[in-house]
Amino acid sequence: MTAKVEFDHRDSVGVALLSGDVDIAHASTLRKQLLSAVRNDDLGLVVDLTDARYIDSVGVSLLFELAERLSDRQLRFAVVIPDGGLVQRVLTIVHLDSVAQVHPGLDHAVAALRSDA
Amino acid sequence: MSAQVPADRLRDLRSVTDAALAYLPLEDLLNELLRRVVAILNADTAAILLLEDDDKTLAARAARGLEEEVERGVRIPVGKGFAGRIAASRQPVQIENIDEAEIVNPILREKGLRSLLGVPLLVEGGVIGVMHVGTLTERKFSGEDVELLQSAGDRAALAISSRLTERERGLADALQNSLIPRLPNLPALALTGRYLPAASAQLGGDWYDAFQLPDGRLGMAIGDVVGRGFYAAAIMGQLRSGLRAYALDSGAPGEVLGRLSRLLRQLEPGRTATVLYLVLDPYAGSLVASSAGHPPVLIAGSAGSTFVELPGSAPLGATRHPTYQEREHEVEPGSTLILYTDGLVERAGESLNDGFERLVRAVQGAEEDLEHLGDHLVDELLPGGTTDDDAALLLARALPMTDSLATRLPADVESIPLMRRMLGRWLHEAGATQAQAEDLSLATSEACANAIEHAYGPGPGILEVTASISPGGDALVAIRDYGSWRPPRGANRGRGLMLMEGLADSVEVVRGDEGTTVQLSRRLGAEAA
Repeated sequence: MTAKVEFDHRDSVGVALLSGDVDIAHASTLRKQLLSAVRNDDLGLVVDLTDARYIDSVGVSLLFELAERLSDRQLRFAVVIPDGGLVQRVLTIVHLDSVAQVHPGLDHAVAALRSDA
Repeated sequence: MSAQVPADRLRDLRSVTDAALAYLPLEDLLNELLRRVVAILNADTAAILLLEDDDKTLAARAARGLEEEVERGVRIPVGKGFAGRIAASRQPVQIENIDEAEIVNPILREKGLRSLLGVPLLVEGGVIGVMHVGTLTERKFSGEDVELLQSAGDRAALAISSRLTERERGLADALQNSLIPRLPNLPALALTGRYLPAASAQLGGDWYDAFQLPDGRLGMAIGDVVGRGFYAAAIMGQLRSGLRAYALDSGAPGEVLGRLSRLLRQLEPGRTATVLYLVLDPYAGSLVASSAGHPPVLIAGSAGSTFVELPGSAPLGATRHPTYQEREHEVEPGSTLILYTDGLVERAGESLNDGFERLVRAVQGAEEDLEHLGDHLVDELLPGGTTDDDAALLLARALPMTDSLATRLPADVESIPLMRRMLGRWLHEAGATQAQAEDLSLATSEACANAIEHAYGPGPGILEVTASISPGGDALVAIRDYGSWRPPRGANRGRGLMLMEGLADSVEVVRGDEGTTVQLSRRLGAEAA
């Protein structure tokens, strides 16, 4: 499959919906789009992986890089991870929760970022 | 009327087409014809213009006393000026006084020509060009002159046309051969194509293509450019390249066809083409197809044959903002995809439905081997060969995988998605759950990425991936490279190793003199965690 990112904006929180394969074949394209989407006047960014089918170590590193960039700018970072799939298994192994809030649904993630304000 | 022409001039005329000319290259033949015509008609200049493939332009191809016409590449629109009027009317035209005539080509006046006589070059009633003579002094050409020039023109036309056909045939073969694609060689997938030129040796617009997409799936396309000849063939080549470029970029068949339609409208407004494009995932057993007015793909499996019908759609180039819908369809392991052009199924005096039914019947009597099936379909559907239309056929079949998997791939990032899909299917057939197959495929991808990034320099290398089931029910995957191992560096590869260890039950790295082997194992089956 291919990979795609769509952007949305909810209550001063940027939302990036990633679908398809977040992998070595697509990471460089996704990286450019994601890094350019971060806005300083936002509270933070939510990356929604609900429609992502696959993620490898290059995709994982992209999330870690994003976490670092956001943290440098004092912005918050949350990732929506669907229950019970490969994406969840992978992100558990690499301890994504050490750099990002992890939520099972988008509404939950946006609300959590806002309530920290 | 020829009876009025004196015998000696008839003899002259015969010299226009004597047998010795047959061995001259086309340009020399035209020049020699003009030399003889000038002599017979006692003229000062002569020229031959031939109709271009677009049927709208005459181009100077040979000239005598007017050499600049050829050197400057003079082109005259049909219907305009002296030569253009002859081509449009298919009648001889005489100009007694050039000052009183509409002339497009300035060279005629520059040369000081006073009078002109021109005739159409006709083959089977169709214009292929114009031949004209001119004089530096004013002259009224007689009926006999007109008759002589027309007879010379007729004979010249035949000689030119047979020569062109011959030349076109040589070029056609070269062009068509260059357009027949080299099909990719993918594990557990059989693929074959057939292109059948029209028996009339006219260059056709049918084509097919198959190529590996960056995500490891297979793009398959077949198409038919409306029209014949070099223009159609050249457009076909551009469409094929365009489709590949869009497919590598986007992947979604409907979008690819939409962009291709815009490309065609820009390349040549008014030209249309039908194309069927589908993306086959041979290892997941599914396809996504989209069609621009092309006959549907046939899937032949153990349970019978099905056409993958798509909603009616316009050919490429036919409308300004076409939308091409997509349709997904299952492809059972072992079933065959049959893509074809109408040249294969259409017969004069029959409905297209009869052709579709004949295709289904021919497939039912099919041979096991895909190459044989290709030959069989051509024999059954075109028993007498092609006629005046060309035909193309593209076949694909996902083969069952064997007990153990062994594959060699280029050590390139693009190999990874393919390997992942292939291994995923093999694991599925070996009894792995979806999660087990996903985990081990990802661990294997990470091992491959390690080898690609660290075992080889920028040069080409090979990766070997083998998989088998141990007697105890473990899936064993070995990833072998032949490079010199360097320890993984950077956060990416560190995480890669972490994933391999987290997703497989065991990871072993064996370094040898000739390369490195990474061995992964994972217990399969419902009882395994």
